Amino acid sequence: MVVRPMNDASQGSSSTPRRRSKQNFETWSWFFMRISGLVLFFLALIHFSLTHIFTDVTQTTVAFVAKRWSNPLWRVFDWLLLALGLLHGNNGLRFIMDDYIRTPRRRAFTKAAIYSLSFALFVLGTITIVTYKGTL
Amino acid sequence: MSSGSTMYKGKTGQWAFVLHRVTGFLVLMFILLHVIDISTINYPSIYNSIHRLYGNVVLRTFEVGLLFGLLYHALNGLRVIMIDFFPGAIKNEKRVFVGILSLSLLLTVVGGVIILRPFFTGSVG
Repeated sequence: MVVRPMNDASQGSSSTPRRRSKQNFETWSWFFMRISGLVLFFLALIHFSLTHIFTDVTQTTVAFVAKRWSNPLWRVFDWLLLALGLLHGNNGLRFIMDDYIRTPRRRAFTKAAIYSLSFALFVLGTITIVTYKGTL
Repeated sequence: MSSGSTMYKGKTGQWAFVLHRVTGFLVLMFILLHVIDISTINYPSIYNSIHRLYGNVVLRTFEVGLLFGLLYHALNGLRVIMIDFFPGAIKNEKRVFVGILSLSLLLTVVGGVIILRPFFTGSVG
């Protein structure tokens, strides 16, 4: 039998009727982590290579971004990385919070704070990518 | 697996799991910071000075750490997928862990030399 650490949170002891829907959500969550992880494997490593290895970090100037974003496909690439990275990361952090934050109130508060911050940054990142009009 | 019902209690599986969590957490923290630094793109002087700051040797070292985190998390993620979808491959689970850890370290050294070199040669920033 294979035990997945990512699903620790779903292995609760309660066996109330609600458990079924929660298990279903966790199954989708488990599946999402595999699929998004596979996509991110390519997106993140390509992104890091281009902006940290093949280009020195001090050369990733406004002009560098303006040139890259003149091609809408790079904006799509970066937006996908933003969206999937935040979703995959927040779902991973959800497992961590479920594991280590033991009191329900503190857990709810921390989750609300993390999700709000991530959502705000998702909106900020989306606006940045979509509305940028710079021409060097 | 020699004993026990789970590979996440003790031995390599546990360390693979712990490293996966730590690297995932750190990469997420960097993404949050990265969204903010990119959002200054409409204020070129601020954006460019932030990216000059990233050329600092301390932040370059963090950059190498980020590279290791990304590589390990990405490769170990493939290992997790392998375990989940191909349970038969479980016999090789430990060897695969040693393999991806070595590959992550090797690629981090190669990338690290490229990332850190400009600081020492003074060719950039």
